[in-house]
Amino acid sequence: MKLRLISMGIAMFAVSLLNSCNHDDWFDRESKTLITDQQLWNDPKLLTSLVANYYDRLPTLHGVFNTGGMTELDDAMWSGHRDQNWRNDFQFGDDYGRYWDYGLIRDLNLSLENIAKFSTQLSDAQRKQYNAEIRFIRAFVYFEMVKRMGGVPIVTTQLIYDFSGDPTPLQVARSKEHEVYDFIYQELEEIKEDLAANNASKTRANKYAALALESRAMLYAASIAKYNNLMASPITTTGGEVGIPANMASAYYSKSLAASKEIISAPFALYTENADKGANFYDMLNKKTGREVIFAKDFATSLKVHRFAYDNIVRSLTEDNESSSTISPSLSFVESFDYLDGSKGTLHTKNTDGNYVAYSHIDAIFANKDARLYGTVIYPGSTFRGRAVSIQAGVAIWNNNKYQLHAAAQLGQQLKDELGKEYAGGLWTGFDGPLYDAQDVSNTGFYIRKFVSDAPAASTRGTSAANWWPWFRLGEIYLNATEAAFELGQVADATGYVNKLRERAGFPANSVTNLSMDIIRNERRVELAFEDHRFYDLKRWRMAHLVWDGSENDTNAVVYGLYPYRISRPGHVDDGKFIFERVRPARFRRARFFRMANYYASISQDVINKNPKIVRNPFH
Amino acid sequence: MKMKLLSSLLACISLLFVGCEYDNYEAPKSTLSGRIVYEGTPVGVRNNGPQLELWQDGFPLRSYIPVFLNQDGSFAASLFDGTYKLVRKGDSPWLQQATDTILVQVKGNTQLDVPVMPYFTISNPSFQQNDKGITANFTVNKIVNTANLQFVRLYIGKFILTDQGQQELRVDANLSLISFGQPVSMQVALPDNLKNLDYVFARIGIKSTVSNEYYYTQIQKIALK
Repeated sequence: MKLRLISMGIAMFAVSLLNSCNHDDWFDRESKTLITDQQLWNDPKLLTSLVANYYDRLPTLHGVFNTGGMTELDDAMWSGHRDQNWRNDFQFGDDYGRYWDYGLIRDLNLSLENIAKFSTQLSDAQRKQYNAEIRFIRAFVYFEMVKRMGGVPIVTTQLIYDFSGDPTPLQVARSKEHEVYDFIYQELEEIKEDLAANNASKTRANKYAALALESRAMLYAASIAKYNNLMASPITTTGGEVGIPANMASAYYSKSLAASKEIISAPFALYTENADKGANFYDMLNKKTGREVIFAKDFATSLKVHRFAYDNIVRSLTEDNESSSTISPSLSFVESFDYLDGSKGTLHTKNTDGNYVAYSHIDAIFANKDARLYGTVIYPGSTFRGRAVSIQAGVAIWNNNKYQLHAAAQLGQQLKDELGKEYAGGLWTGFDGPLYDAQDVSNTGFYIRKFVSDAPAASTRGTSAANWWPWFRLGEIYLNATEAAFELGQVADATGYVNKLRERAGFPANSVTNLSMDIIRNERRVELAFEDHRFYDLKRWRMAHLVWDGSENDTNAVVYGLYPYRISRPGHVDDGKFIFERVRPARFRRARFFRMANYYASISQDVINKNPKIVRNPFH
Repeated sequence: MKMKLLSSLLACISLLFVGCEYDNYEAPKSTLSGRIVYEGTPVGVRNNGPQLELWQDGFPLRSYIPVFLNQDGSFAASLFDGTYKLVRKGDSPWLQQATDTILVQVKGNTQLDVPVMPYFTISNPSFQQNDKGITANFTVNKIVNTANLQFVRLYIGKFILTDQGQQELRVDANLSLISFGQPVSMQVALPDNLKNLDYVFARIGIKSTVSNEYYYTQIQKIALK
C-alpha cells in the first residue's frame, strides 16, 4: 500500500516535470501592469491622456486661479489668513518669477521622438496632430521661460549622457533673447495647420490657439525691442541673451498684427449674450458658452475642480466655514476704470474745497463707470448670486464741524445708543466689512467678482468651483491688435479695435478718438485684470520700476482702500447718505517695489554650477 | 528588576547627549566688517537695498553669501577664516563691477573698506531748522561722466530709517538749478504731522537714470524743540 502510493507520487511528479518544460510562453506573457512603448505610442486613447498631462502642466505665474499670486501686484492685496500676510509685506526677490523647467521640456522632447520612432499604427493625420500639439505646448513653455528669464537654452532633443566622462555635449548655452522668440514663431507657423483638426475644441491646442500664442509672443518681443532701448540704460548682456535690437521691433509688431487679424476674421466673436453689460463681462468668463474664449483649461465638478470661489467669495455669502475674501482689489485698480462719458476714473470722494461728497445711495459713487468694473469687482451696494452684499465700514457723525468716523466692534452690528441716543438705529458696520486689520474680510472695501463662480456650492471645499481658465480669449487679441497697429502707425485701425472692445463694456461707439499708449495700457489693465497679464505687460513696456517704485506715498505702489460710511446727522439734509474715505489698510505693510534686477529673474546657482556656459542675467 | 529598568532608561537618555557632537560644526568666529566708501567717505544706501556678494572657491557647493548693507554703508559678516571673493553688483548707486572682484583674506576680525564708483555724490550736506522749516545745503558732484541726473530729493522722516521707500516727506530739487560742484540750497516747510515732533530725521538722495537705487547722505537728526 505504502509502496504503491510512493511510486504513484514519483510517477506523477516525473510526468509533471516533462509537461511544463515545453512551454516558454508561460514566462513570456504580456505584463498586466506595464505599458510598453509600442502600446503607448500607438494607442490614441493612451496618447490623449498623456497629452492631457502635458496640458495640465502648462506653466503660469499669477494665472490659473492662483489667488496668492494675484495679490502680489498693485491690483489687489491679501486679505485672507494671516499666515500669508507676507504678500502684503515683501519685496520682489531676485528670483521672483524664476522658471526653468527643463524636466517638462525633456518629457515633451521624449514624446516627440518616440512618436516618430514607435507610432507606426497611427494614421498620418493622427501622428501629425499629436506631434503638433506637443510642439505647441513646448512653444508655450519656451515662451513662459523667455518672458521671465530672457534667452534660454533651446533644447529640442533628449539630452542623453554617454558615460564618457565628458558632460560638455549636454551643456547647451543660452540662446539670444530674440532667437527664442523666433523659435517660438517658427514652430507655431509650422504646426498651426496640423492643429486644424482640433478647431472645434477649446481645451486642446487648435490653429487659433497657435495664432493667439503668436500674437502674444510677437507683441512681447516687439515691445521689448522698442522699450528696452528707450531706457536710459537698456538692460542687456553682451551676448544678447537679454535685450533685443531696436530695429527688430517693427517686424515683430507686424507678425503679431497678422496673427491677431487672422483670429479676428475667424469664427470668434466678443461675448455679448447678456444685455446687462456688467453681468455680461462676468458671464463671459464664468459661463462656458459663447465664442470669445479661444483656448482654456477646463474644470468639471467632482472630477477636476479648483477653490477660487472658496478663497475669494464675499464673506457673508460663503457656504464654507473658513476662508473667503482673500483677494481685496485695490482702490487704484477700481479707479483705473473710466467713466462712460470718457472722463478719468478717479472717484469723487471729496470736493475741491476738501469736504466729503455725500451720496444718497452707497453705490452712487460708482454710477456710470465702465461696465467691466461691475464684471470684475464687487463694490459696496452691488450684488452677487442675486444677493446684496453688505459692505459698509461704519457710521459718520457730525461733531465739531467735521465728520467723526466710527466703526463697530463686530461685523454686521446694528447701531444702538453706543454713540448717543440721537444716532441710534440702522446698520453700523456691514457683514462684509471692510475692516482695515482683520482676516477673511475685505481690507479695501472691495471683493473680486471675476472668476468667482456663482454655481451652487462652488464656495464649499466639498464641491468646489468648476469654471474654466481662459489661456487666450478674443478680448486680448483685440488689444494685441490695437497695440501692434498703433505702434506700426496704423492709428485708424488701432482705434477701431479698441473702440469695438469698449462698446462691449458699455461705452458709446467711437469713444476713443485720440488713441495713445497710455489709453492702451489702461485698457489692458481693466480688460485683462487678474488674467496673468499685468506683471508681464509692465515688464515688457519697461514701466514696472516706475509704477511699483517702492515709495510708501505712491497711490499705485501702495494698495489703498475705499471705506463707505453712513451719515447719521439727524435733521440734516445729508442724514442717511454715504461718504467715502480713502484709507491705507493696516495689513498692507510695504509698498510694491520692483527693481531693475526683477526685469529678468536670476538663474539658480545650481543651474550655473552644472552648466558653466550659462551666462548670468544682468544685476544678478 | 526595577533597578535594571532604571539603569537601562538612564543609559538611553545619556545616549541623547552624545549624539550631538558629530554633525554640528562650530559657528564661524571671524568677522569681516567694513564700509562702502568713495574716496574715504562712506556711501549711504537704502535700508534693505543694495547688497554685496561673497564667494569662496574650493568647495563642492558653489553659492554666494549675501552681505547686507546698513543704511550708513557699513556691513559685517560672520565667516570662517579663508580667502573670499567680494563682488560689487549692479542696480546699485555705483558702477557695476561684476568681473572686478576683490580678494579678501579673512583671518580673525578683518576690516575692509570697499571702494565703489558712485554715479553722483553729495558732499558737505548740512541741515538747519528755522522758522520756515528746514533748509538743506549741499554740493552735487558728478563722478561717472556718462551718467545723467534724474532726481535730487530731500527726505524728512520720523524714524532713523528714512529713504526713498520709507519717509514722511519727500521734496524734489529743481534739477535746472543744480550745477555740479556748486553749493545748492533746498528749503522745505514741515507739514502739520511733523511740525510738533521733538525731532525729525533728514537725508538727501540722488539718483542717476542708469540705476534704480539712490546715493544717500548720512542720516541726520534735527531737533525741532
